[in-house]
Amino acid sequence: MKVTLNWLKDFVDIDIPAEELADRLVNTGFEVEEIIDQRAAIKGVVLGRIDAIEKHPDADKLVVCSVDIGDKSLQIVTGASNISVGDIVPIATDGAILPDGKHIKTGKLRGVTSCGMMCSGEELGLSESDYKGAGVYGILIMNGETMPLGTDINDVLGYDDVVLDVAVTANRGDCNSVLGIAGEVAAILNKPLKMPDLSYGASGKSSVSDYVKVNVQDKALCPRYMAAAVTDVKIAPSPEYIRRRLKSVGIRPICNLVDITNYVLTEIGQPMHAFDMRDIEGAKIDVRRAGDGEKIVALDGKEYTLNGDILVISDAVKACAIAGVMGGENSGIREDTAAVIFESAKFARDSVRRTSRGLGLRSDSSARYEKGVDSSLQEIGVRRALHLVQELGCGAIAQGLIDVSDGQADAKTIETTLSRINGILGVEVPADEAVRILGALRIKVERDGDKIVCTPPAGREDLENVNDLAEEVIRFYGYDKIKGTLMEKGEQTVGGKGLRIADTDLVKRLCVAAGYNEILTYSFVSPKACDVLMLPEDDVLRSGVELLNPLGEDMSRMRTTLAYSMISTLSSNCLKSIRTARLYEAASVYFKGDGELPEQSERLALGAYGKDEDFYTVKGAIENILSAFGIDASYERSTLPYLHAGRSADIIAAGGKTLGYIGEVHRDVSAAFNVDERLYIAELDIDMLHKCARRKYVFEHVSKFPPVERDIAIVVEEDVTAAQIIASIKKAGGGLLKEVSVFDVYRNKLLLADKKSVALNLVFRADDKTLTDADITSRMDKITEKLHSELGAVLR
Amino acid sequence: MSVISEKIQEILAYAKSRLEESNEAGDVNDMRVRLLGKSGELTSLLRGLKDIPPEERPGVGKLVNEARDSIASMIELRLALLKRLELERKIRDERIDVTLSGKGIKRGSYHPCTLVREEILRVFISLGFSVEQGPEIESDYYNFRRMNMPKDHPARDMQDTFYITPDVLLRTHTSPVQARVMDKSKPPIRVVCPGKVYRPDDDATHSPMFQQVEGLVVDKNITLCDLKGTLECAAKELFDSKTKIRFRPSYFPFTEPSVEVDVTCPVCHGKGCRICKGTGWIEVLGAGVVNPAVLRDSGIDPDIYSGFAFGMGVERIAMIKYGIPDMRILFENDARFLSGFKEEI
Repeated sequence: MKVTLNWLKDFVDIDIPAEELADRLVNTGFEVEEIIDQRAAIKGVVLGRIDAIEKHPDADKLVVCSVDIGDKSLQIVTGASNISVGDIVPIATDGAILPDGKHIKTGKLRGVTSCGMMCSGEELGLSESDYKGAGVYGILIMNGETMPLGTDINDVLGYDDVVLDVAVTANRGDCNSVLGIAGEVAAILNKPLKMPDLSYGASGKSSVSDYVKVNVQDKALCPRYMAAAVTDVKIAPSPEYIRRRLKSVGIRPICNLVDITNYVLTEIGQPMHAFDMRDIEGAKIDVRRAGDGEKIVALDGKEYTLNGDILVISDAVKACAIAGVMGGENSGIREDTAAVIFESAKFARDSVRRTSRGLGLRSDSSARYEKGVDSSLQEIGVRRALHLVQELGCGAIAQGLIDVSDGQADAKTIETTLSRINGILGVEVPADEAVRILGALRIKVERDGDKIVCTPPAGREDLENVNDLAEEVIRFYGYDKIKGTLMEKGEQTVGGKGLRIADTDLVKRLCVAAGYNEILTYSFVSPKACDVLMLPEDDVLRSGVELLNPLGEDMSRMRTTLAYSMISTLSSNCLKSIRTARLYEAASVYFKGDGELPEQSERLALGAYGKDEDFYTVKGAIENILSAFGIDASYERSTLPYLHAGRSADIIAAGGKTLGYIGEVHRDVSAAFNVDERLYIAELDIDMLHKCARRKYVFEHVSKFPPVERDIAIVVEEDVTAAQIIASIKKAGGGLLKEVSVFDVYRNKLLLADKKSVALNLVFRADDKTLTDADITSRMDKITEKLHSELGAVLR
Repeated sequence: MSVISEKIQEILAYAKSRLEESNEAGDVNDMRVRLLGKSGELTSLLRGLKDIPPEERPGVGKLVNEARDSIASMIELRLALLKRLELERKIRDERIDVTLSGKGIKRGSYHPCTLVREEILRVFISLGFSVEQGPEIESDYYNFRRMNMPKDHPARDMQDTFYITPDVLLRTHTSPVQARVMDKSKPPIRVVCPGKVYRPDDDATHSPMFQQVEGLVVDKNITLCDLKGTLECAAKELFDSKTKIRFRPSYFPFTEPSVEVDVTCPVCHGKGCRICKGTGWIEVLGAGVVNPAVLRDSGIDPDIYSGFAFGMGVERIAMIKYGIPDMRILFENDARFLSGFKEEI
């Protein structure tokens, strides 16, 4: 909300500088985003008159002028050709600053001293609509000016105000007006608020009801509709002060009647609309819902198709305005408008909001209605508009006002105690001070000892309960009076993290210890991610949740796997010539579910590349994590399409639950990211780890007797896995066999075509005696027999 | 007698000088055989005892035996010395460049946002807060309506929203976790709720996905002063012990009174610098006394209980704390950037 200092001064006597006022507003909850001193942009530019123009001795295109700036005469060299002797022009004197930041200094042009510069309209930041002639190419000619030579150009242009851009919070709809802000300023300065002049005399003999009848069909969407009529209208430009104030707050002046509606909107906060009376057919205004498919061309020149949720202002035959949003082109003010109907209405804010969003059409009026207009403003607005009509002499005001209202008063009271207010704040605000503050905000307070009954003024719809009153008190009593305490009167509680959250922490700690750096990637990915991962059409990973309004196609699907983000991150590092990386991320994935909300599950992704990385380095990190959760997993060849079929495995927990996968990324996938390097990734379902964890350690006896070790080497088909060999050995090994591990795999294409030799170390141990060779030999025979019968293995 | 004695002295001198010259254990052993062996020189002397007068024999025998012991101990000493020298040489030869890098384990790192989030959680856990999480894809009901923002409430404009359906959305703040906590627990409540949140903004200071930590206290006699004290305590831990905080009035639909909270600039300590734009203060979070409407909607009687809530942006604090100029750097995931953050959580 932009307001100007002079405009505020119409309503409250401000005796502090703008900067101090801004600070005080910030301290009471109104952020001042910008203070624009209109005089600050142009410095040292004065009115001057050209007394002589002579040719430059050494330049054909330059002239040397003698300029009178009141107290002295200056020599100025210029290249402009649109000047004549006697012209009044703006002169930037030595040391002047122009709006674009340019400093003007005395200097020499082709050897002739120039003590300043004549300015064009553009150089002063003016356009044709700001000042007649400012749009002309060349020096700005100001021959109509009557102020003395040497007058500061700011005074000539009427730049004498300071604009404050005030951020109004969503609860303070009432402060979206000069008058609303003035009310706060009055409370800040503890001074009275002067009300705007609403007086006028109805000069016409006719009455508004002679021109129009108003019927409000939907009182829920339009709780109050007021109308007035003005005849004998003379459309003309508004006076300078109105044009200047509107421009200061960012509104383009148009003509007197339109400017009046905008002036009232800014000053009072009541949106107004003016209909050309001759376009209102049937002398009737009907506030009704639009028909489905009904069309209207709004004042922006565009056609809008309406529906039954949209409220329109209609005459006997057609819609003339989209209620609260924009008038229709069919009934707007034109140069030859002779009579108008003023509308000053209250429309339900959620209805205006929906309409504006639905049509994609916003206006100052809709923005204002969306913030809430209270039902006291319509009358103030229309009376103020009529006062201005009279002041500007732009028409004859018909007798009477039309007022169609649901009759519901906004007034409400809040009953509470002063000690309750102090109880919320935690400080003792002296009772008289609290009552004074509430009074300064024009809240009516009836006090009986500690008890108070408060009646907020019209417009303060945000004041509903004791907390709201507490805020009003502390806003003005001062937040610096709040002193820190540590819940001494509260009950002591024990803090901490639950096991589920601690499990994610544990996973992260293990990753960091294993050399992985944590990454952070967006939860949304491109729908193309599934194609890059070569997922089949019916893959469950394609059932991702879609955003209705993404920032872009690339961020439109909630991810179902962390794989795409991880591969993409590995690739971007790789492409930056970072030679090796170990990365991890713990984040959620999202699936369409049967419930109200999609299903969410937390995953861990690991990723690595570089000369020392392979399937097994990543597997090592995974095994380390699983071991921290006491999980014994098995590894089965994976069929995930984005992984190397020969170098990937699904991780299966006891009971058959899939915990995740590890693998080398398929070359087609890494090629899609322009990467040649072998990339390795793994994913684990952290929720599943949490569920499958075996956390209880049970004491196991450790044998005192020495072990007997046996190494064997067997030849098997290439496809036989280490896990199969170990399983066979364990089956035949009996209770004394404590450990089996592979320590070498040997391949030799000449000696062992399609076969490999696997060397294993077996450890036997008894709890009650030292084992002898005889104890082991029969076991070893059974083991070799089993290996042969199950896997076709032969001893080497 | 004197002849033999001289002979012994001669042998001793010889043994001493030869041993001192022996640099190999083999040479020393040769000496042992030559002097003390069966046909060694001293043994021969003993054998020659029979040729001397019997009354001199004990004296001579004693001399010979003493010489024998003396040579034996010289040999042992020499062998020990050689062994030690050998070991010393070996140690010298096996020396390595101890400045080369270690093998195997190289520690990774936590993302700076994780470091900041965990630091925040740690402070509040120590103040008796427990940690709760909620869904990132939320219902309109929990994200807005339970936070006192009915449909078409103007405050919804404060938080642009990603929608999945008209009623399901990506949560715009962690505040809905407050309502979920109040639905399942009774006062006293002290929780902090970290998590990802989403808003359609993307520039140097906004990311469409970012993290917040929400806090909620509901108990008897909780005041705005308690909010200030709690946040003061947290700010001192997060930044430094001299950090001060200040409240500025603001508006959130779910708190009343609502405040923006500034901390003294951790870079210039309030003097004014580029980071704080010369004000000496940096805005870090929004907070307030829980709106009675929110308590009532959660089945908690606002006439008996009161509380406060706060929410802070993790990325923003990480940027301030580590001097990161652009929020997008946090999402670039450059391994060189990431591996610089060596702190533990």
